[in-house]
Amino acid sequence: MRYDSITEAIGNTPLVRIDPAVHGLRHIDLYAKLEMLNPFGSVKDRAAWNMARSRLPGARERGEAIVELSSGNTAKALAVIAGMHGLSFKSVTNRMRIPEVKDLLLLLGAEIEELPGRSECLDPTDTEDPLTLFHQRLNESGSAHLHTDQYFNALNTEAHESGTGPEIVADLDGRAPDWFVACVGTAGSSTGVARALRAHDPAVRVIGLVGEKSDFIPGIRNVDEVHEVGLFDPATYETIESVGADDAIDGMLTLVRRCGILAGPTGGAAYHGTVRHLRPVDAQLRERRTAVFIVCDRVESYLGYVKQRRPELLSRPPARNSVSALTGDEVRAAQVIEVADAQKWIAAERPLVIDLRSSFAYAALHIDGSVNIVDELFDEVVRGGLPFGKRQPVLLACPVGEQSARYAALLTRMGHPDVRSLAGGIIAWRDAGAPLVRD
Amino acid sequence: MDTGPLYLEPRLAPRLASLLGSAAFLHTLVDALGSPLNVLVPDQMAENAEGFRAVYRRHRLGGQVFFAHKANRSRSLVRRLTTAEAAVDVASVGELQHALGAGFTADRVLATGPKDPAFLWLAARSGATVNADGPGELDSLAGLVRRHDLPRPKVLLRLSEFETSGPRMLSRRSRFGTSVKALEPLLDLLERHRAFVDPIGVAYHLDTTSPDEKAIALEGCLRAMDDLRLRGFQPRVVDIGGGFGVSYLAHAAQWDRYTSELAAAVLGRRPPLTWGGHGYGLHAEGGTLRGALSLYPAHRPVAGAGYLDALLSQPAPTLGRSLGTLLLESLYDLYTEPGRALADQCGLSLARVVEVRRTDAGPALVRLAMNAGDVALEDHGILMDPVLVPRGLPGSGAGEAVGVHLMGNLCLEVDLVTRRTVFLPRLPRPGDLLGFANTAGYCMDFSATYAQQQSVARKVAVRQSEGGAWHWCLDEEYWPVDAYGPITDSGGRG
Repeated sequence: MRYDSITEAIGNTPLVRIDPAVHGLRHIDLYAKLEMLNPFGSVKDRAAWNMARSRLPGARERGEAIVELSSGNTAKALAVIAGMHGLSFKSVTNRMRIPEVKDLLLLLGAEIEELPGRSECLDPTDTEDPLTLFHQRLNESGSAHLHTDQYFNALNTEAHESGTGPEIVADLDGRAPDWFVACVGTAGSSTGVARALRAHDPAVRVIGLVGEKSDFIPGIRNVDEVHEVGLFDPATYETIESVGADDAIDGMLTLVRRCGILAGPTGGAAYHGTVRHLRPVDAQLRERRTAVFIVCDRVESYLGYVKQRRPELLSRPPARNSVSALTGDEVRAAQVIEVADAQKWIAAERPLVIDLRSSFAYAALHIDGSVNIVDELFDEVVRGGLPFGKRQPVLLACPVGEQSARYAALLTRMGHPDVRSLAGGIIAWRDAGAPLVRD
Repeated sequence: MDTGPLYLEPRLAPRLASLLGSAAFLHTLVDALGSPLNVLVPDQMAENAEGFRAVYRRHRLGGQVFFAHKANRSRSLVRRLTTAEAAVDVASVGELQHALGAGFTADRVLATGPKDPAFLWLAARSGATVNADGPGELDSLAGLVRRHDLPRPKVLLRLSEFETSGPRMLSRRSRFGTSVKALEPLLDLLERHRAFVDPIGVAYHLDTTSPDEKAIALEGCLRAMDDLRLRGFQPRVVDIGGGFGVSYLAHAAQWDRYTSELAAAVLGRRPPLTWGGHGYGLHAEGGTLRGALSLYPAHRPVAGAGYLDALLSQPAPTLGRSLGTLLLESLYDLYTEPGRALADQCGLSLARVVEVRRTDAGPALVRLAMNAGDVALEDHGILMDPVLVPRGLPGSGAGEAVGVHLMGNLCLEVDLVTRRTVFLPRLPRPGDLLGFANTAGYCMDFSATYAQQQSVARKVAVRQSEGGAWHWCLDEEYWPVDAYGPITDSGGRG
């Protein structure tokens, strides 16, 4: 397929059937609408383009910057669109909790402003919400801006009412599904698709999914936060159910490991919420039904999110020559040397003095003549074998002498005959009045 | 809509729970000393300080934990702390006098906040460390030291407006501290005053619950320490202020449920949960919720010493390593200034129920011998149920859960102890006590007044003996010695 502009590739995403052996529903055909296959990576491409496209020429003429309150996919799409049209983009947010997305936005040339956290000593008269603060900042800056206003802009909903919804109907051979399930973020996709489907068949049941309050799922608002969204109308949904972060990750694992759909946790939440809602219904059914859920974006940006919550999913086997493999006895048996003796030893035998602290701390003050190999780096170097000859005596130093003792034990295990750990570390060295220098 | 009673039960550590269970003891105290009455638990303070020290030990860090005295004027809490591994942060000449008089030697006293000449003079005279707000204060201090030939005081430079690279983190504007952008001129000034002040490090305090903002500030301090060193000073202390927080409620689920129902009430989807439909900062606009919930996050999964632990374990935004590791390997001592967090579970405010008035529609009105200034929960946006301490025999007060409004003793429409409709396990009766738990941090005497010549709460210190019995004395009579207990020193004969 040939296009003149990447923006023409927005929309017309595939509707893919989930294997019944995976979801286990006997009477319901379950389809995933793969919004993750939009060119900038998410369902938000549609809304971003629809909100911005008609205003781009004017904005360019007036030298306006595009601004949006977004923590993720809308910002990503708008940053790309802004870049393509010679405009700058600024995202203001208090919800930016995915570091990979933050880095990607910077790479795309976006400017990010993060709003402050809540006050610890409460001022009860300060009741401005982030949206109000954001609008105040826009007005006070004096600079011209194009504010896409995704939480209130009807063009957000319209993108799905005229695009996503009709596409689903067309792909189901002109029929609306019996259930439509979507996570609620800006409420744009769920509201827009629901409108299109209901126009076709008023009996469509629409399920909205929100996050549990105790944790967060990227791109989904929790049960309270949805009320702050202008496009959100509870009447759109037959029910609103909440999904936990763990459920979202479980759903995501099913999609990525068993369905070949590399969805992020939002898509995982949608899958999990859909199957959970439909399972009891399915048991009562006699004829075939159809359900559709939205896969909002891709998995790659959320590895840190997964690692934080489910580290075991990303664990690697322990490395050879690693301090974590040492026994307590081995560490206790490591050769340690007190500060005064260490000073004499350095003067007499010139051991290699290795300082394991960060370069920042080393640069400020260190033992004269010492070499700085930061612990993380040292850890990698010794994995392959001894990084210096066995005839070279070595003194290891760290802040308090614990880490250096572990590495001394490791090097001893690896066959080095004379490696010692500075007892009490650099702190003991300083406290003993031994000289520290700054080069 | 959720129709069950929306309890917000306070989190009670074993001491406060035992105390609130000792109804006869508490009634005796209020009978003798009047309502309202503030009860302090000094031993809990020492335990909390130990919790902070444990975090220091875990990160192998040296330094000091300074109790922010402004959280409570109590004598007993400060006197008890003198015997713990802790220090005190004073914000006025009165607090400084009190700390010195309680037995703190000046090496365990840090002077913070806005300072007048008397405060600066006594701090320098006694040898307390001065947390200097800016160039003006450094000038005044150096001038005093020079003119009065005072010992050279240790000073910390309080900094603010830390900068980030990459995403810009906005912080609330603070009236305190010197912008890091103005660090160079501040260091020029410090060099001129070198003979009169001894800069031992830098400080920040941010009024935020966000660890990310604090991580940026802490890293900024590490860089500022380097600048001090380049000027030939030998800084060794980074003071990260306070703001570690307290979790007030026992159950996260109650808090989540209450805040959801409050939003529903503001949107008109259920009857109001507050006096006059007050929204605690929220309002409805065309079916959308606007404004911000101006309430203290009353249930916090990580607070106090745990928050410090998490902050120290967090990687520095640009240096990458954990903040605790960076402090340690840079050989710096850590100062902290917890107020609320150190006073957690250290006190209780008691009020007598004077009148219970049923109303035709809505919750009953319960009038207390106390006003909103005596227990400043509302001022701090802290929502938490009082504990009913019955007058009669236990069990005699069975009844059904009710919602009530708590009225204060002032002749003033707005004098509500809280604007929240409070749910109690039964309707209280005149003579019962309501115990507001965990008020020692900022909610006890910070805003109590003599308005309308109503009496201000007396304070008593209580201590639990090993057998479990509670003993009390007036707060000002408390000293951390067992004056009338068994004398274990046998004088060398045993």
